[in-house]
Amino acid sequence: NSPAPLPERAIYGFALFLGSWFGFILYLIWAYIPETWLFSLGLTYWPQKYWAVALPVYLLVAVGIGYILLFGINMMSTAPLNSTHTITDSYAKKQQQKKFQEEAIPALRDIPISEVNRMFFLPEK
Amino acid sequence: MAEERRFRSASGAPIALRRRQHSACCRELAVRGPRLQLRSLSAATSAVWLAAYGLFALSENSMVLSAAIFITLIGLIIYLHFVKIDQESLLVIGSLGIQVTSSYASGKESTTFIEMGQVKDVVINEAIHMQKVIYYLCILLQDPEDPQGVSEVVPLFQSSKPRLDCLIEVYKSCQEILEQRKTAPQSS
Repeated sequence: NSPAPLPERAIYGFALFLGSWFGFILYLIWAYIPETWLFSLGLTYWPQKYWAVALPVYLLVAVGIGYILLFGINMMSTAPLNSTHTITDSYAKKQQQKKFQEEAIPALRDIPISEVNRMFFLPEK
Repeated sequence: MAEERRFRSASGAPIALRRRQHSACCRELAVRGPRLQLRSLSAATSAVWLAAYGLFALSENSMVLSAAIFITLIGLIIYLHFVKIDQESLLVIGSLGIQVTSSYASGKESTTFIEMGQVKDVVINEAIHMQKVIYYLCILLQDPEDPQGVSEVVPLFQSSKPRLDCLIEVYKSCQEILEQRKTAPQSS
């Protein structure tokens, strides 16, 4: 999965490049060429030109609202101060206590908050 | 014996912690926040009245002025009675329970009592609150089914939000009382 250039990637890139230029020229034609000229060419069923202005505006407003929405979703997902999710979670509740072995590194576990508090805030000696 | 020390809240406002030892197993810790300042009260009142006068100048309707006076009075009463907490206190009685009292500026006091059988521990927890990480003291309630589990978290000192140095003092005082229930003989 390296990001090195490959022939397939070059072909995809060129196809996208051509496709985006084609789409852009098509959009300019739709937006600028008068309707009567398009009708005389036989292209009568294209969408209203109103949308050539409206869709970019919708897109930009959606992007702006997306910033605010993401911020709001983050704030709503934060656990309130009175929830147990600030202390523990489902994995920590189900963890097993491994037996202590001499001369071995102790197993990884979630230390309960009472122990952590005692270690930090009650200096014994 | 009572002693009072000055600290700062999480937002920088000056608060005072008062510790009283009523007996060997009973302690009261009270955190008092700043009183309602005259300058903030006059600033809010002037802002509301100037806005009302501006609306009156635009609309020529004198009801706007009397409505502004009414809103200011009612808003002040509601703020003093329901929002502005002057003092929060914690009364820890070993083997009986913990009582949490909030005194509002209008004199109203709201009290909660948690009996000692339900209290697992009093800890300092850190959590994300309004784009900040704050330390706050909380009581962990025991889960009746699971002896190691925590059923509920009761945060304390929510409106005065003391900083870590004040919280450590309160934590040490509470732990001295809570340790006694482990060494005390099991009587009930």
